[in-house]
Amino acid sequence: MVRNLVLHISQIDGIAVIALEGFLDAHTAPQFEEAIQSEIDAGRRNIVVDCARLLYISSAGLGVFMGFIGELRETGGDIKICGVAAPRVLQLFEVSGFKDLFGLAADLPAAVALFREKDK
Amino acid sequence: MTTGFDLTRLEALLESAQLLQSSLELKPILKHLLRTVMGRLPALRGMIAVCRREGGSRVELVRGAAALTEGSVFHEDSARQAGMVLFFPIGSPSEPVGVLGVGGLPSAVKPEEAEFIEALLGLAASVISNAQAHEQAHIANRLLDQRLQELRALLDLGRGLAAAFDPEEVARLVGYTLAGRWAISRYTVAAWKENHPSVLRQKGMTPGDWPALQEKYGACVEARLTPEGGLVLPIRSRESPIGLLVCGPRMPGVDYGEADLEFGAGLAAQAAVAFEKAWHLQDMLARQQLEKELELAAGIQRDLFPSSLPSLAGWDVAARNRQARQVGGDYYDVLPFAGTGPEDPHLLCVADISGKGIAAALLMSTLQATLRSLLRRESSLVELASITNELLYATTPANKYSTAFLCAVQPRTGECRYVNCAHNAALLLRAGGEVELLDGPGFALGLFPMRTHQEREFAMQPGDILALYSDGVIEAQNPSDEQFEIERMKSCLRENAGGTAAEIVDRLFEAIDAFAAGAPQYDDITLMIVKRND
Repeated sequence: MVRNLVLHISQIDGIAVIALEGFLDAHTAPQFEEAIQSEIDAGRRNIVVDCARLLYISSAGLGVFMGFIGELRETGGDIKICGVAAPRVLQLFEVSGFKDLFGLAADLPAAVALFREKDK
Repeated sequence: MTTGFDLTRLEALLESAQLLQSSLELKPILKHLLRTVMGRLPALRGMIAVCRREGGSRVELVRGAAALTEGSVFHEDSARQAGMVLFFPIGSPSEPVGVLGVGGLPSAVKPEEAEFIEALLGLAASVISNAQAHEQAHIANRLLDQRLQELRALLDLGRGLAAAFDPEEVARLVGYTLAGRWAISRYTVAAWKENHPSVLRQKGMTPGDWPALQEKYGACVEARLTPEGGLVLPIRSRESPIGLLVCGPRMPGVDYGEADLEFGAGLAAQAAVAFEKAWHLQDMLARQQLEKELELAAGIQRDLFPSSLPSLAGWDVAARNRQARQVGGDYYDVLPFAGTGPEDPHLLCVADISGKGIAAALLMSTLQATLRSLLRRESSLVELASITNELLYATTPANKYSTAFLCAVQPRTGECRYVNCAHNAALLLRAGGEVELLDGPGFALGLFPMRTHQEREFAMQPGDILALYSDGVIEAQNPSDEQFEIERMKSCLRENAGGTAAEIVDRLFEAIDAFAAGAPQYDDITLMIVKRND
């Protein structure tokens, strides 16, 4: 079974939006990591990861978030996670403590609103 | 919930096992490990250091800790200062292949989580070792490949250069090899040697002539990099510089490395040998060409000397010429005036032409042709000398002239007339043993456009001997730089006066050789002996 990850990258008011579709596991994690890195390289430090179409996430997938969050927060940026729908994904976010660490927004507008509030 | 949690742990292990088995590259493996561990704890900071073969550990991967740099030497203290709080050995704790550190943890790590991480890292240890070995082998292979390629390039060049006999061709091959090996489009190959046109092959560089290049790079005795990122290599032959290779910068991001300098030095050494070989070959060909020309001139000259002398009734005449070099400057002849019988008057002539070689041979042939054509109608020696003088003066450069002793003999009566055109005084040995020197006024032929010669007369009696010669006879040297001198010539003539003319010539040459005692002959030696028998 080929478990692909498709990345949809866009921007809203200077906020980078990375929408994940499919499977984020050890094989696809590098793809996701590169996507975040190129947003940071482009100077965007506010990043929303939209998980509405994410079907699976493994520990390695979670690790990608962890690899950037410290650095981003230290420089005034952040990662917000939104739209988590798949039960398995939601379960992992909950048990891993991600829910507390990142805060899960209901959907994209809600996540964007969190940034607006923060940067006010 | 607990079941789910355990399941994710199993899943993570399974996933890791799959990924680790499929990868031979170190970086992706490390990234995966750190991601997985940081994702599970979850940890804000993470790092992995891997033990190096040469000892110590190096930080290979850092996440969320700007104070740590990838590639630096791993010290646990500095890692702690950078925010790492927990360290897991990768592999057996007694002999780990590396260490994974984490920090920024929300709470203490649960024992079962630590157990999972240990299992994961245990799984990874052998894969990391393999990847390291693979990386080493890969690097070694790449280096080996590169060396092989360099060797092949040098071999190719050597093969090409072996067939290159022209310095320009050598420069072309060397240029191609440089450009191909380093993918450069700008280069200069230059080489120079005394008495050879300098070689300059340039591509994409500001055309510079020799002085400009030498001013810029003249002091270059060993390979050096230029400020523009190029490379200058001297071509040296027996320690002296004979050329330069100037290479432009390589592709962006590629610099000339240590191995490149070695390759360049090898190439320059080959170029040096090839240039020297090509020049040497050119010299050899030029010399061969010159020798061929000289041979030709010598052949012409041999034909100018009479193959046999005419016989004069009641007289005995013999002559010999020995050249110092392949093509000499002396000439002798015995030519009839209007009539060609043994009793008809004849002209005896010994001449010494300035210079040697082809030019002298040409002047000699002019002199001979002039004398021959004039003799038929002109019996006055002064006229003969004057007309010849004018002709040679008009047709030859100022530094080409000839001294000559011209003597007309009447075989029947023994009456003789002569003009001496700045030549050695002829030596007349009377039957009674007295010696007379036959000199007279007058410049060499072809030197000045003036009539300066005077005709003088004398008579040959039976038993008298006349010797015409060139300065090579009396100036022949021995190893002590002494000269043969006219006195030795006189004694030799007296001692051998009873012999035939040919015998006297032989004896005189023997005497000169005995005197010279092996010292080199610097000048042509010409001798004509004329003896009146009755």
